[in-house]
Amino acid sequence: MSELIKLKINDKEIAVEKGTLLIEAAKLAGAEIPHFCYHPRLKPDANCRMCLVEIEKVPKLQTSCSTPATEGMVVRTDSKTVEEAQHGVMEFLLGNHPLDCPECDQGGECQLQDFGHQYSPQVGTFEETKRVFPKEYFGPLIEKEMNRCVSCLRCVRYCDEVIGAYALGSMNRGSHHEIGAFARQELECEYCGGCIQICPVGALTSRLSMYENRTWQLKKTETVCNYCGDGCSQTLEAVKDDLTRASSEMGTGRNGGDLCAKGFFGYGAVNHKARLSRPLIRTNEKELEVTWEWAFNKAVDGLESIKEKYGPQAIAGMISAHCTNEEIYLFQKLMREQIGTPHVDSSARYGYINAVAALNSVFGTARLVKYEDVVAADVLLVIGAALTESNPITGLKVKQALSKKGTQLITLDTASRQRETYISHLPNLATQHLQVRPESEGAAICGLMKAVIEAGASDTAPPALVDKVKKALTAISFQEVEAATGLSEADYRKAAKAYAGAKRGVMIVGRGVLRNKDGYQNMLRLAELALLSGQVGEEGAGILAMAMENNAFGAVEMGGVPEFSPGFQLNEGDKKGHTFPEMLEAAARGEIKALYLVGEDPFRSLPQKKVAEALQKVELLICQDLFPSQATAMAHIILPAASYAEKSGRFTNHEGEIQKVRMAIEPVGNAKPDWQIFSIITNKMKQKSDQPYSRLIGYDSPDAVWKEIVMSMPSTWSQGAGGDLSSATAAYADRAEISLSIKKPLDANGHFYLHVGQHLFHAGKLSTYSEGLLKLLDQEMVLIHPEDAETLGIEEGEVVSLSNGEGAAALELPVKLSKKLGRGTLFVPEHFGTAAKALLPLTIDATTQVPYGERGVVKLSKRSAG
Amino acid sequence: MAKYEPILLKNMLQPGYRGLLEEYRAVGGYTAFEKVLKEISPAEVIEIVKKSGLRGRGGAGFPTGLKWSFIPKDYPGPRYLCCNADESEPGTFKDRQLIERDPHQMLEGIGIACHAIGSHQAYIYIRGEFDLGAEIIQRALNEAYAAKYFGKNIFGTGFDLEVVLHRGAGAYICGEETALLESIEGKRGKPRTKPPFPAIHGLYQEPTVVNNVETLANLPYIINRGADWYAAIGTPKSTGTRVFCVGGHVKRPGNYEVPMGISLREMIYDIAGGIRGDKQLKAVIPGGASAPFLKPEHLDTPMDFEAIKEVGSMLGSGGVTVMDESVCIVWAATNLMEFFHHESCGKCTPCREGSAWILQILRRIEGGLGRPEDIDQLIMLCGRIEGKTVCAFGEAEVGPILSTIKHFREEYEQHIREKHCPFRPNAKLVMAH
Ligand SMILES: Cc1cc2nc3c(=O)[nH]c(=O)nc-3n(C[C@H](O)[C@H](O)[C@H](O)COP(=O)(O)O)c2cc1C
Ligand code: SF4
Ligand code: SF4
Ligand code: SF4
Ligand code: FES
Repeated sequence: MSELIKLKINDKEIAVEKGTLLIEAAKLAGAEIPHFCYHPRLKPDANCRMCLVEIEKVPKLQTSCSTPATEGMVVRTDSKTVEEAQHGVMEFLLGNHPLDCPECDQGGECQLQDFGHQYSPQVGTFEETKRVFPKEYFGPLIEKEMNRCVSCLRCVRYCDEVIGAYALGSMNRGSHHEIGAFARQELECEYCGGCIQICPVGALTSRLSMYENRTWQLKKTETVCNYCGDGCSQTLEAVKDDLTRASSEMGTGRNGGDLCAKGFFGYGAVNHKARLSRPLIRTNEKELEVTWEWAFNKAVDGLESIKEKYGPQAIAGMISAHCTNEEIYLFQKLMREQIGTPHVDSSARYGYINAVAALNSVFGTARLVKYEDVVAADVLLVIGAALTESNPITGLKVKQALSKKGTQLITLDTASRQRETYISHLPNLATQHLQVRPESEGAAICGLMKAVIEAGASDTAPPALVDKVKKALTAISFQEVEAATGLSEADYRKAAKAYAGAKRGVMIVGRGVLRNKDGYQNMLRLAELALLSGQVGEEGAGILAMAMENNAFGAVEMGGVPEFSPGFQLNEGDKKGHTFPEMLEAAARGEIKALYLVGEDPFRSLPQKKVAEALQKVELLICQDLFPSQATAMAHIILPAASYAEKSGRFTNHEGEIQKVRMAIEPVGNAKPDWQIFSIITNKMKQKSDQPYSRLIGYDSPDAVWKEIVMSMPSTWSQGAGGDLSSATAAYADRAEISLSIKKPLDANGHFYLHVGQHLFHAGKLSTYSEGLLKLLDQEMVLIHPEDAETLGIEEGEVVSLSNGEGAAALELPVKLSKKLGRGTLFVPEHFGTAAKALLPLTIDATTQVPYGERGVVKLSKRSAG
Repeated sequence: MAKYEPILLKNMLQPGYRGLLEEYRAVGGYTAFEKVLKEISPAEVIEIVKKSGLRGRGGAGFPTGLKWSFIPKDYPGPRYLCCNADESEPGTFKDRQLIERDPHQMLEGIGIACHAIGSHQAYIYIRGEFDLGAEIIQRALNEAYAAKYFGKNIFGTGFDLEVVLHRGAGAYICGEETALLESIEGKRGKPRTKPPFPAIHGLYQEPTVVNNVETLANLPYIINRGADWYAAIGTPKSTGTRVFCVGGHVKRPGNYEVPMGISLREMIYDIAGGIRGDKQLKAVIPGGASAPFLKPEHLDTPMDFEAIKEVGSMLGSGGVTVMDESVCIVWAATNLMEFFHHESCGKCTPCREGSAWILQILRRIEGGLGRPEDIDQLIMLCGRIEGKTVCAFGEAEVGPILSTIKHFREEYEQHIREKHCPFRPNAKLVMAH
């Protein structure tokens, strides 16, 4: 498609794609053009004037960063005139610059140093007074040093064009021009760190690593972020075993070099002083530090004796989806093969399993679309996903898609359309936002299905499915849907028409569906909706389900759930062990005697009483974790695990991309990577050997484990997206039993509907160990829509009380106003305490046993005066 | 009385004329707009304007008909017309008078231009400080809307046109056409890199024409009286009249509308009554603060685009600033540079940094701290700005410096040699950044 054109740069003839900017063409011709404002990620702004070149027959010098190459152009980047222009710009830039390189954190990776070195005149002529900006505090994480700024506006343009936060801008004119937030306030934004990354000089740097090191002393390791399922490539930079920075190189990874606050500022959890660093054993209520030798023997003896006494089925294990593929694989192997119990689960149970299980059931694969498809989509349907908070980089891909003219975004959520001033919010960008009442997602999905079916299902949809859905829909009227969701028939018809009419429709499904009531059924309905709309199985169309945890996809694929063995092989009958909620029940009943928890503190996710009951009952509780927790406080054996920065392996993101995790630092203290621990325990059990554990590691590296995984995968295992889905979907259509009904509209009775969920600046509990992220948010609060607050006479910062009228302790929290909430709803971030969750009812999914407990009706009252 | 027949100032020179719609209509107002809508195709209007030789009065003197013809013919999306009423060039005050005293001729011009380029949406971008002007335009717009000259189905021809008044907020740079577009879009007023030009990617990235108030005000007369009539006024390449704003040390400062091509001498000594106190003329800026200085030896130059260019200056915005022998040229240059430094938008390096650097040197020279190498340094710095900036502000700011050095180098040298300003011996050195 792309046309090639020929041009000459410095006498060298080259051919480039039509439209290539001269600055890029010059690279191909082997000519470096110095530049500051140009950045491939941004639209050209041509403000620094450093990249001027001479073009034959054009009277003035031209900026190569904004001039596209055209056929027959003759360009010089090395003439005397060009050199003089470069000297001019360099001297202008250096004139007011403080030249404080020795104490600048950018020193060594600064474009002004690099280009200045090569393109400045030998002798400077600036003999005037330098302009000096007064020091300004720019918020807790970003250091602003405007004397070093070259006014290239890369930061502002990144914030506008890429993030869409619009938090930065130009202030003042001429030589007093500087970058700042509105009205000289402290920066208040998404804190993605992008402005720091893209600033070519030391004008914006991270306060987390201020004045700590020189850049060239840092050891860089390219790895993958361990917070959410977006799977961002992340470069960890360390001095000895201290992480001092995180970044991501432009153009690399699934994220293309963009990060979110968690990825950029959240690395501090790794070096937190509270990390578990030695094995511990509990005897007589006391924790005793022991050697690994001792701990391994204790664990193996404990497991063996329980196995002997009660049988292998009395042992169960639960692993965090933050672990690597290799680790999850080894863990399930230890449980299933070595110990012989089917009871193994992972934190994918908290919701992501709904997606993988449903998609696998309908399509035979959960790898349907990639980010490239999101970006290329012409219609995006985002359901129950607050992407800016939960999966910011997927959110960026959606924004990127929107920059194409004519792209439609339909969002379905309980959130309102309004946004916080400097934080993006997809419903605000949507061409159509379907704001549904709390707990009516299921009804809204029925509304969409009805609208699609009535307009005529796609020819590509399996006929059996069309028939079954049609039949099921007869039980449903739009009146019911309207009553439940608050949206009109016309809304559904409009959205359905856009989605079904898409050339490349991509559906993105988030926590609002996956972690809430009927998650599995709703996910099946959405898969069916995509089939009925012809938006799956076609080039670029499909479904992407959002993972909250970095390796939730991998956890399921590696067999870290009872329903699947590695490679999505379905376990049935006896082979299908307990899900985690079932394990706890069984433990409470006295059936499970030993519980092995890896990176998992059930007290955070499930009702305290139930968990306590279960954990008290077991004879052996092994906790393997990074930090002490409520669970470790009850454990008989505590094994200190290495964090993602201290080990290697692989994470699989929610697209199904398998990516390499690389070790950046040695494990802190005496911690060990989980894969080693599993391997040693397995070998010790297998060989019944007294050899020192160091001889029993077995695998020499995670790569060796990966080799075994790949070799042992079933032949049906495919890592690629797409493929022919028709036989899988036809089979599904034949066996599917579809019955649809609309739940009665929720009656909040004048009370509020509370969501507990993810905040933009945190992920799970882990992030609350990060110094950087704590500077952005260090306590719980309750978000409320400003108009609701006004009605109640509540002001920002005021402490209110939340209760459920059922005896759970009332929770007192300060109020924060947020326009993006729906009226009548409240939001509390889940990362700090568990008291908010304790106010909410728990239901368990009938099929997948996913525990749903993050939404419900609560009473909000003002604290009585005094 | 008047030697030359005014066109644009004619109505307002009538006693009692207030610029109301009924008055404007009484002298034939809006008949040209009606005529083009009913009888003359857009392509023909463009031809007429091309033939009239009308050139832009905003500064660059670009042929108006030609500019219009760059709007892509079959473009399916919207196109826009922006009337540039940002008049902020020091020494220039003609648009203000045209707006305040006879706003409808500009509005009618907008209608004609919109018909020619197929635009249904026009913006009038008026300088923020023009409170009265904004009020008057709004009143005139209300009158015109009430009379159905704007809005839907104008003159029953099916042509729709909305005209919106947009007030600036006080930045000189917003008169530069692409900064003006940014400002209308609600962004900070900063020029865009060209190409692409507004005719292709203008307001909201759609094809756009930006025309000056005076340019547009000429259109009704060109339509009504014909291209040939207009082309016969002035010189062959600089046709029509121009409203010159004569200011400075003359006896009768003010706006004078004259055919292009009369001499500077006639302008200063005849029309504006000569130098105040009958002092000697020292220098004159013929086209607003951005135009290079001229000397008495240039007095016989005709005031048309070509001739003024030939002697190294430009007709620019039509602001003629006259300086008598008491003026210190270094001080005058410093004064202008204070303005340019204050108004540089800061987008591009050479202008942002260069204006501050140049100003510091000028202040030193004027304050008695000049160094012999300063003059060459100034020339070098100007060279590093000229032709290397995003917008024409770069050329504008170096014009006064280079021309004063060229014509009055000795005066700079004297400042440096004597270590004080010969005209203002007590001049205080201001070095604040
Ligand atoms: C720094 C700068 C300031 C300008 N200010 C004005 C102005 O105030 N009014 C104006 O009409 N044109 C101004 N111009 C010229 C405009 O960019 C543009 O050329 C003009 O409005 C086009 O109209 P015309 O073709 O009718 O002259 C300015 C140009 C520059 C470079
Ligand atoms: S802060 Fe950095 S990125 Fe932003 S304008 Fe200044 S130099 Fe450029
Ligand atoms: S938390 Fe998610 S979006 Fe943010 S950097 Fe990590 S992987 Fe990327
Ligand atoms: S030349 Fe001056 S006014 Fe024009 S864009 Fe550059 S900095 Fe702004
Ligand atoms: S890199 Fe081209 S102008 Fe800045």
